Amino acid sequence: MRLEKLQRACVALVSVSFLMLGMQMPAAASVIGTAEAIAAGSQTDSLATVRAAVSRDDVRARLAELGVDAIQLDGRLAALSEAELAMLADRLDEAPAGGDALAVIGIVFLVLMILEFTGVIDIFKKQ
Amino acid sequence: MIRAALPTAALLWSLAGCAASPPLAAGLPAGASRSIELGSTPFFAQEEYQCGPAALATLLRASGIAILPPELTPQVYVPGRRGSLQAELIGAARRHGRLPYVLAPDGGDLVAELSEGRPVLVLQNLRVTRWPRWHYAVLIGYDADRNVAILRSGTRERIEMRWQKFARTWHLGGRWAITTLKPGVVPEHADAARYIEAAAGLEAAGRRAEAQVAYDAAIARWPEAALAWLGRGNVAYGDGKLDAAAESYLRAVELAPGNAAARNNLAQVLADANCLAEARVQLARAATLAAGTALAAAVAESLAKIESLPPAATGCRFPGRAWTD
Repeated sequence: MRLEKLQRACVALVSVSFLMLGMQMPAAASVIGTAEAIAAGSQTDSLATVRAAVSRDDVRARLAELGVDAIQLDGRLAALSEAELAMLADRLDEAPAGGDALAVIGIVFLVLMILEFTGVIDIFKKQ
Repeated sequence: MIRAALPTAALLWSLAGCAASPPLAAGLPAGASRSIELGSTPFFAQEEYQCGPAALATLLRASGIAILPPELTPQVYVPGRRGSLQAELIGAARRHGRLPYVLAPDGGDLVAELSEGRPVLVLQNLRVTRWPRWHYAVLIGYDADRNVAILRSGTRERIEMRWQKFARTWHLGGRWAITTLKPGVVPEHADAARYIEAAAGLEAAGRRAEAQVAYDAAIARWPEAALAWLGRGNVAYGDGKLDAAAESYLRAVELAPGNAAARNNLAQVLADANCLAEARVQLARAATLAAGTALAAAVAESLAKIESLPPAATGCRFPGRAWTD
């Protein structure tokens, strides 16, 4: 008898917890962020904002593919606005990624080489 | 032979679109110093591909943050791109409590920012559009008489670059330049929309304390800027200060009656304060204004939430208060 009561109590408890899982918290209001309001103000950005939720996952996946450490991803994504995330989702592979300064000499050298090979100059000629 | 090469080189030069840029003295804004050098700006020699962390650390240090480039590398570097992205430099500056202000894309803003004593992080393209080589450097000064830009760049603590060459690399880099401001500092040359957008970035990144200081500074400078009031309201709302949020949103709506976000947010705070009838009035207006824009879904969600609320148990927190129509 006592066992049956216990069983019933358990069933009741489990059912209530399941019910509560499906319940929303009572109207926790959410306001529109200022960055979002600004982005919506310009026509070109408004589409980008709509896709923001998708963008976050896209950018996360692409940055991970490009070798960004998984434990850094949350902090890095959290620092960006939705418009910035949407931009990166569209252009992460072409967006400027500043790295090195060393190639300035490279192009000068390349031009000299072309001029040399085409016979315009002969500064590399051996004596 | 070398004599024949000169016209050819000049031709190649002009074909590459390099001939037009004027010397610095010709474009120097009236009243600007002939030369500036922020010599006390720190320097960090970059490691391979690490000009982003090095340049950003230079700016953050100059604005009073104790940081070294290796701490920034995991926050901005993208190994697969062998570099750092502009948006992530901005994000990292926010994470260290600074307001990354994107300067207007003209040399005047660069000079103005240096005049106020702050170095400027610039993006350069050191090659050509089709075959770019992106590089971040820090502009610390210029000399109009000698026609040079003075930079902390890569592994070199101080380089002088002929002004036209600097201008060309900066132009090919999209004329992008940022400064990292202490929240509350508004540059003399600042543009309201640019500054408020930067503050909104801090808000989006969850840096509410810094965003609040920035919005307050923006309101002190531009009291009529509705978006700064919207931002101040959002920070107050996030901090659970309903009264302050309501006042700020109301001011935003008064200044910009057509702003759907301001009305939506005012409605939210009114609903939280049990002023459901007043909230519905604001939301109805917001729904009309937001129709067909990116905010339509957010406003619809607010409407659904308010309709699902049970009748208020207690009275409206702001009895008899008139909210703008």
